[in-house]
Amino acid sequence: MNPIVAVEPGVYSVLVDGRSYEARIEQSDGCVIVLIDGHRFEVEIRDPRRWSRQTGRQGVEGRLNVTAPMPGKIVRLLVAEGDTVEDGQGLLVVEAMKMQNEMKAPKAGRVVSLTAREGATVAAGDVLAAIE
Amino acid sequence: MFRKVLIANRGEIAVRVIRTLREMDIASVAVFSDADRTSMHVRMADEAEWVGSSPSTESYLCIDRILDAARKHGAEAIHPGYGFLSENADFAAACEAAGMVFIGPSAESIRRMGSKTAARQMAIAAGAPVVPGAHEALAGPADARVFARQFGYPLLLKAVAGGGGKGMRRVDSDAELDAAFRDASSEAERFFSNPDLYVEKLIERPRHIEIQLLGDRYGHMVHFGERECSIQRRHQKVMEECPSPLVAARPGMRAAMGEAAIRVALSAGYYNAGTVEFLVDGRGDFYFLEMNTRLQVEHPITELLTGHDLVRLQLEVAAGEKLRLRQEDIAWRGSAMECRIYAEDPYNNFFPSPGKITRLTRPMGPGVRLDGCVYDGWTVPIDYDPLLAKLAVWNGTRESAIARMLRALREYDVAGIHTNIAFFRQILEDEEFRAGRLHTGFVDEFLERRKPVVPPPELESIAALVAAFHSKSNAARAIIAQPPRSRWLDTGRHEALR
Repeated sequence: MNPIVAVEPGVYSVLVDGRSYEARIEQSDGCVIVLIDGHRFEVEIRDPRRWSRQTGRQGVEGRLNVTAPMPGKIVRLLVAEGDTVEDGQGLLVVEAMKMQNEMKAPKAGRVVSLTAREGATVAAGDVLAAIE
Repeated sequence: MFRKVLIANRGEIAVRVIRTLREMDIASVAVFSDADRTSMHVRMADEAEWVGSSPSTESYLCIDRILDAARKHGAEAIHPGYGFLSENADFAAACEAAGMVFIGPSAESIRRMGSKTAARQMAIAAGAPVVPGAHEALAGPADARVFARQFGYPLLLKAVAGGGGKGMRRVDSDAELDAAFRDASSEAERFFSNPDLYVEKLIERPRHIEIQLLGDRYGHMVHFGERECSIQRRHQKVMEECPSPLVAARPGMRAAMGEAAIRVALSAGYYNAGTVEFLVDGRGDFYFLEMNTRLQVEHPITELLTGHDLVRLQLEVAAGEKLRLRQEDIAWRGSAMECRIYAEDPYNNFFPSPGKITRLTRPMGPGVRLDGCVYDGWTVPIDYDPLLAKLAVWNGTRESAIARMLRALREYDVAGIHTNIAFFRQILEDEEFRAGRLHTGFVDEFLERRKPVVPPPELESIAALVAAFHSKSNAARAIIAQPPRSRWLDTGRHEALR
């Protein structure tokens, strides 16, 4: 009996030790996201035949980009280029779907680039700022 | 009864109204913007009319365009849903002037209840308890200081034209007053173009409990009991239940609140559906807050508990029929609760998460009601409120309703976007929630005290297994990048399972 069966596109039924699980896959760049009973796992697939392509996840060292998580409008900038910021400090406010949301610094450091402009419309994934 | 009704709304509430219209054999007319051509309410309605571009100011809020659509399709009445034009007195008046019935109260009632200070004065005149406070807009911080001398701190400054917590400040002492007044006033100016403030005594850890009303045009009105709406985020309700655990434990409290609500509404000449909101303190004393002159988002739980279709009753009284229901005909059975399912990411500060729904599994089975507007392959537009659906359940007791909601949430899966489904499961497992110790600051306190969710350990290896299987590379190795901690796992486990 197969322990893993694709039951619907992207959905697998898994039987292990007599227990039944259902897992759903979401593809994301560089890794596979597996959802089981509301829990979310990011799984990196490494092929030992292609070790050289191994990159690893971006750490807190070096430059980190702050990107727009969804389309929206920049309503306010809270920092300026060159400012020193704490980890978690608010950088700018983005409005989308009637809600204002503060984008926070992903780490402590200096704002080395601030491409966001007040009033500008941004698309998901646009780089708004960079912290180094 | 009407033969054709236009719904001046979108999303789940338009779908909800269409459902009752169909059951009553009344033709439905949907209106839609550019962003909503493929939305569920357009697909479900008998007729549909484009009313403008995606921003609601150029479509769903355009009175003339809505009325043109109603005329073109020959609609006799307009259901406004909630939000958009539903509490706009000018819209109600314009419908009547155009010879169409506005399914709601009179324009005059909407106007009288629309101003918080006017509504409060009406409540006082009708003998309903109100939170001690100034009846008029304050001239300045000095007025608030006089008030504080009489009633004490803490007090609350609120925008006269306000709502949703904007233009509102808590003040704990004389020293804080001037700065708080300045902040609240400028915020009120920014959000409502009106800097006027009023002052109230602050009720600590209050509950938000509301009474559902429905009346006909001939002065007969009944109440359908309470809904507890204390589970809020950023002053927006996210989860509601009835009966309220507090009211259920106090004999006579529901009747007292219901009678007070009816007195206030009738004093404004109110008819059709409406809701009176109360703040309730720890002792069970209740205070009139405001009246919502429309159908509420959370009306389904009242329908589950009482067995009445509120939209149907709205249509009947709007058509001029007498309300046959007497107060003694209304009975409350069991326990019901609702979760508002939003396209938002609870792991990223509840950031809105619009996008394409790539797969959808809906909860079903005993006692489950789902009022939604989403389907597999639909793209959630960025232009509107991110409410996807309302999941409501009914069961015999509060405890079994919680168990049922947890079960339904486990069945519910939306792929392609983030939702707050998992967040509700955490609240429902919380001891404080289960004990019914609710207050409007509950969610904020919960977010502070909640522990990170640790998945059962075996799920991690299952996830690695499935990922490796999925990538169809048996030589590949999978690692869990996060959470809870990076760990190597290899597909040797896969071999062991055969």
